[in-house]
Amino acid sequence: MTARIAESAVEETKDRFKRNSSGVGLMSIALVGLSWLALVLAPNPNGQDNAERSSFKLQDSLLLPGFRADVAFLPDERMLGFVEIPGGEFLMGSDPEQDSLSFDLEWWGSSRVSGRPDEPTFFMSRYEVTVAQYATFLSSSKHPVTTPQAISAPPDHPVTWVAWTDAVAYAAWLDDEIRTSAAEGLLAEPIATLLLTGWRVSLPSEAQWEKAARGIDGRIYPWGDEPEPDFATYLAGGTTAVGSNPCPRCAHGLSDMSGNVWEWTTSPYQPYPFTHEDDLETLRMDALWVMRGGSFGDPEQMIRAANRGGADPGARRPFIGFRVALVPG
Amino acid sequence: MPSKPEKHKAAQIFIPIAIGGVIVALTGSARVHSSGILAQSFWGAATVLIAWNVLLLAAPNLREAAGRIDTTLRAQHYIQAVCQLAVYLYWGWYWSPVYDMSVLIGAQLMFAYGFGMLLSWTRGKAYTMGFGPIPIILSINLFLWFRDDWFYLQFLMVAVGFLGKDFIRWTRGGQQAHIFNPSAFALGLFSLVLIASGNTDLTWGQEIASTLTLAPRIYLFLFLVGLVVMYFFEITLVAGTAAAVLFGMSALTFQVTGVPYFIDSDIPAAVFLGLHLLITDPSTSPRTPVGKTIFGALYGGGVFALYTLLGLMGAPTFYDKLLCVPLLNLSVRAIDHLVSKRAKTEAWTPSTRIAAQPVWLSPRPNLIRMGVWVLFFGVMSVTGRTDGQHTGDALPFWEHACFEDLRNACDRLIQLETSYCGDNAAWACNELGLHYRKGTIVGPNTELAGLYLARACELRYQSGCMNLLNPVGEIRTEPRLLDLRLMLREGGLNLMEMGRADLLERACAHNWSFACPTEVGNT
Repeated sequence: MTARIAESAVEETKDRFKRNSSGVGLMSIALVGLSWLALVLAPNPNGQDNAERSSFKLQDSLLLPGFRADVAFLPDERMLGFVEIPGGEFLMGSDPEQDSLSFDLEWWGSSRVSGRPDEPTFFMSRYEVTVAQYATFLSSSKHPVTTPQAISAPPDHPVTWVAWTDAVAYAAWLDDEIRTSAAEGLLAEPIATLLLTGWRVSLPSEAQWEKAARGIDGRIYPWGDEPEPDFATYLAGGTTAVGSNPCPRCAHGLSDMSGNVWEWTTSPYQPYPFTHEDDLETLRMDALWVMRGGSFGDPEQMIRAANRGGADPGARRPFIGFRVALVPG
Repeated sequence: MPSKPEKHKAAQIFIPIAIGGVIVALTGSARVHSSGILAQSFWGAATVLIAWNVLLLAAPNLREAAGRIDTTLRAQHYIQAVCQLAVYLYWGWYWSPVYDMSVLIGAQLMFAYGFGMLLSWTRGKAYTMGFGPIPIILSINLFLWFRDDWFYLQFLMVAVGFLGKDFIRWTRGGQQAHIFNPSAFALGLFSLVLIASGNTDLTWGQEIASTLTLAPRIYLFLFLVGLVVMYFFEITLVAGTAAAVLFGMSALTFQVTGVPYFIDSDIPAAVFLGLHLLITDPSTSPRTPVGKTIFGALYGGGVFALYTLLGLMGAPTFYDKLLCVPLLNLSVRAIDHLVSKRAKTEAWTPSTRIAAQPVWLSPRPNLIRMGVWVLFFGVMSVTGRTDGQHTGDALPFWEHACFEDLRNACDRLIQLETSYCGDNAAWACNELGLHYRKGTIVGPNTELAGLYLARACELRYQSGCMNLLNPVGEIRTEPRLLDLRLMLREGGLNLMEMGRADLLERACAHNWSFACPTEVGNT
């Protein structure tokens, strides 16, 4: 009798244990499932970034007259919009006797004259980098979308809200893109050969920028010595489409070298005389980077070809953009 | 006409609705008002309580239990709560987000009481009113907060903790008891899911783990708070063994590999906190001295192993202290079983048993064990293994160790530089960028290299900009004063106001040779 009671007690305990265990298991699964569901349904912290990127992809179907959608929306020209700037000396900086609007940082040292550096041949982009081009870069790279405003303007307007680091990253990406196209035989000559022989896409230095803007004769504006509202976007409320101010009188026929947006260069901001060799002198400083050309909101004085702006490399502003150059490797 | 108790019951039945109202009222505070999603989370939590309460009122079969409240005040709840509160006050004094969190913690407390009542009544039981929810909520918030945009998950985590306490139970020592420490269960479960779903950055877990050391002498403070818990609840063996195992394994690893295991401490401060306040719930840990010792040792070993495992998985390592507690809770019955079996076996030779039992396991007063613990902690402190400078604090130590190819040293160097870069130390970002570009001590990754160099550049570290411009550039310059202020904090000190000379002296003490005085004078 005692044994039977003990046996039934053991059985009861076993049953209870089984019920207990299965209940625990079921409840654990339910709780894990509930928590999992909540976290899966939670918006991904990178979701916004992904959403921004996917919205760029819609622009693949975009058609911009004069630009090639198959080559990163670069201009539909044999040289993809890169214009040759022949090598040789040019006048850089300002002589206050010839340009009364000049700032002291444009003077070539204490002698208050222009300098005459030598700049080898390179190619400068005809237009500022557009929203469509930058959006293509963002959609096909993992570059962080720091400021969504960068691609909120119309696709043929210059990209803005980009830092110096964004501009450098874009240039490196574009270099890869068109180099691949060149290797695949998709580009015309002579750009294909240039790329395959070591030329590369980069931001221009400030010397390259100034030479491309004013030619070799030291003119104050890209078109001459007087302001011309028809040739540039300045004293305006916002950007205009790149190339919307044709400037046949401008040196090398480049667009928007004055106004529209300030353009980043590869030069640290330091006093003239300019040389490529002294860039490393700023290593221990909180250096700014040179930007050129003035923007849509600036007056005549600021859009002069010799004017030098400086900004923090992380600055993202509605009036700063950039253009690229093709330079010897 | 209802009797007096019935009147009380009628009033009490609306408490959860009132709690919901309080939570809604808290949305008017500046802290909650600062985020739309946070405010919505509060509204959501209140709605759940109110709707559940209304449903309860409408269900005739549940009305019987609804409104029944018994009151029981347990010392283990309020003493634990006071100790946790002390930690919050001290830590928050040095890291202000803790004080900013007070409204959010208050709301969770409200929610916990409301949820607990409704859960009990729905299950046809009276609600036991006491301080129980306070240590649960404070414990959860000592380790994990969801960011404002995901704060509704914090309420869910609280709910899961209480559901686990009520539903996941077993028979232990002839009594029904919850298996898991409610806070540790919720934390462990959510940690697991966060890691598995790749959502670890939804929380402030990393910041919480790393900012405890902002409070000076935090180890000593936690030790003193821990003594209170040890005195009242005899958990000295659990916490002491866990700490001893961790200190011991850390020291052993350092001897074998030449590098510290936990990078900049022998026991991370958050783990030290965990072993005092997370695993010491008497209801979910063993009750015998041997069982407690095994439990503590398993926690120490578990944290040690998980730290490496999480690192290998690429998951944040601060989850190490959270993930193993539920597993330990599950092992309690097995530990009890093991201990009782051993006791039975040894019962045949009682004299042998007494002779073989080490002194710290003897059934003497807890004070003796506490004395041993105080001595042990004292030795660890005097030998520089708790507060103060640690070998792993010095980044040059890791550079050298990496160069010497010591075990894991290069991984730790990358880990440290990543952390410093995250703190905006541009020098570290530049170094990281170059490491990823060269691919010598870490797999080459051009994209990451570019991102780190860009970050260095945007922090106005000119070498980073130059390296970004030149795809094969490898320009390195010494850390700037600002970088030193960020990299010499030993986990948390604020060095922003420290003078140049003191800063350089400190840098020299941390093996930054450029900062040390030379024969011709200071650098």
